[in-house]
Amino acid sequence: MVNAVLHQHNDSETESSPVSYTSEILELFITSLQRRRDPQILDVGPVCEENIRFFAQQLKRLYVCDMFRRLDRELRADREPAGVWVHLDYAPSIFDGIQLWDFCDHLDDTQVKRLAELCHTMLKPEALLMLTAFEERTRVLPLNAFVTQTDYQINFRHQAHLKLPWHCRHNRALMSSLAGFNHIKSFQYRNGLREFLFKKYN
Amino acid sequence: MLKRGKKDENDSPSDTNLTMSERITPSTPKPSAAQGKTIIGENIAIEGSIRGEENLVIEGSLKGNIQMEKHNFTVGSRGRVDGEIRAQNVSISGELKGNITALGKVEITKDADFYGEIKAKSISVEDGAYFKGMIELDREPHRKSSEVVKPASPSGLETVKAPTSKPFDAKKET
Repeated sequence: MVNAVLHQHNDSETESSPVSYTSEILELFITSLQRRRDPQILDVGPVCEENIRFFAQQLKRLYVCDMFRRLDRELRADREPAGVWVHLDYAPSIFDGIQLWDFCDHLDDTQVKRLAELCHTMLKPEALLMLTAFEERTRVLPLNAFVTQTDYQINFRHQAHLKLPWHCRHNRALMSSLAGFNHIKSFQYRNGLREFLFKKYN
Repeated sequence: MLKRGKKDENDSPSDTNLTMSERITPSTPKPSAAQGKTIIGENIAIEGSIRGEENLVIEGSLKGNIQMEKHNFTVGSRGRVDGEIRAQNVSISGELKGNITALGKVEITKDADFYGEIKAKSISVEDGAYFKGMIELDREPHRKSSEVVKPASPSGLETVKAPTSKPFDAKKET
């Protein structure tokens, strides 16, 4: 069963960043993709210079589509979030990997399913899908960019221009939303982050 | 209208070879303080390709290709460009739809709206930019790993312990 709890950010909330950490899943994601021939990866944002440099140096071709920014624009204009999907207009089976970061956390269940469908279409067979989710107890910022450093260490940076809703989901709900994928590995960190790696079926 | 810096006063016309049909708006162009570069003002619209031997700044609109491998190309905050760009360094603060090939650096500011492909030596991107594109950078050698991705165990989520106040190296819980 898929269920999410919606949280609207309150600007008066005390803001503090969760601690940085070394991402086991990101390393697995990257090293697996590096064994492929001319791998192509899609990063859905938020646009972050460090991530662009990191992925572009590690892999052959990096595609970036700032879905966070575009979702923010749709919501500010009181338009349906579904309008954001026109931007994921990539050809079928084009990517070896998609990095979603915590984009699912900002979508309702219907939109998460739509995103999963689109990712499934855009990924090649046996391609990888990585996503991150915050636990409710640790989610204190309205939004953080995941900033990738060397050796797969990830820091956080607040992006003040984005104000997106946050939907808290338990692991089972996330797994259910991505039922079209094989679950490869997951990690839960003390800083409240959960990371998931999925693979597209053949 | 093209505004040129003092450095260019003695240049031959072929230094900046413009092949374009200009549609000039009635507004009076603002004076330019630029030196060593050409500025296309915000009230100018150009259709056609541009080859240049000096730096170029677009504050108006341009539909066409840019070729200036030894010089820098800038799309100002009010600029709108639709075309292929080949330049030494490229800076975007306005709208650019098209592919960029830069021998040096591509810089995208927070006010930019970029859609296209970038091939460059390096790139800088400010948070907040609208960015949809493909990036191919000159790559440094990276280490290879012998790890193989295998399906997860039935138990599902693995727990990794992390400190709460400083960066950590994750370790699997046994």
